[in-house]
Amino acid sequence: MPKAVLIIDDSTTMRKIVNRSLRQAGLEFDTILEAGDGQAALDILAGEKPDIILSDINMPTMDGLEFLKNKANDPSIKDIPVVMVTTEGGSEDMVAESMNLGASGCVKKPFTPDQVNDVLGPLL
Amino acid sequence: MDFQEKIVEVTREIFETMVMVDVTPGEPLTEHVSRFTCSLTAMVGFAGFKQGNLAIHTPDPVARGLTGDFLGMEVDEINEDVQDAMGELANMLAGSLKPFIADNGEKVELSLPSVVYGEEYTLTVINKADWMIVPFTVSHGDFLVCLELKKQA
Repeated sequence: MPKAVLIIDDSTTMRKIVNRSLRQAGLEFDTILEAGDGQAALDILAGEKPDIILSDINMPTMDGLEFLKNKANDPSIKDIPVVMVTTEGGSEDMVAESMNLGASGCVKKPFTPDQVNDVLGPLL
Repeated sequence: MDFQEKIVEVTREIFETMVMVDVTPGEPLTEHVSRFTCSLTAMVGFAGFKQGNLAIHTPDPVARGLTGDFLGMEVDEINEDVQDAMGELANMLAGSLKPFIADNGEKVELSLPSVVYGEEYTLTVINKADWMIVPFTVSHGDFLVCLELKKQA
């Protein structure tokens, strides 16, 4: 069955790095969707239903936490697993909050393809 | 805390896992560098129990080359992609060093990355700060990773 992923990050560079890491982890996706913030992601999710979402936390317009809150209130997308992509030294409080809001896991930068596979593999 | 060792360790890890390039560290500089020409500097600040900043200083060709490594394409000028890539690099370096800066569990937060670039600029830390500058070499040339922390009373 074709698989699709949505990558949410305001950094073009990070979206490309995540994309590359997914390939190197052996996680094959037929469709790769990208959004620069949570609101753009919700707009995409109005029409597309990926199998998994990877999301940054700190983003303009709508950050990762607000995205999780909005996603949880939408029956059509609330069950899509979300993995947060965060900086190693990022706020632990925000990581904990994202898990409370329904995130399924967290990958901390810098990450290896194996670390990506360990978190995403079981969710696919 | 041996920041030289930590700077080398985190820089190597980030470059090898995220940028996918080999990086060779040099000996720490004995004199501070604050004036740069035809360069780009990406910085992230630390605030809270410890204050200071982490900066990566790159000549234009190195910034463009590293961005090309990130994105898998040729980069001909310092554009938004270069600023974004170098800002991300500074963000990851600062994030990886943060646990060692707040070494007793004290609260230290990171700022958003800032990027400055141009034909000639000078960066000055206003308050007295301890500093460590480690040079690195990649295929595109040399760059500096600079950690500055406000002197503790």
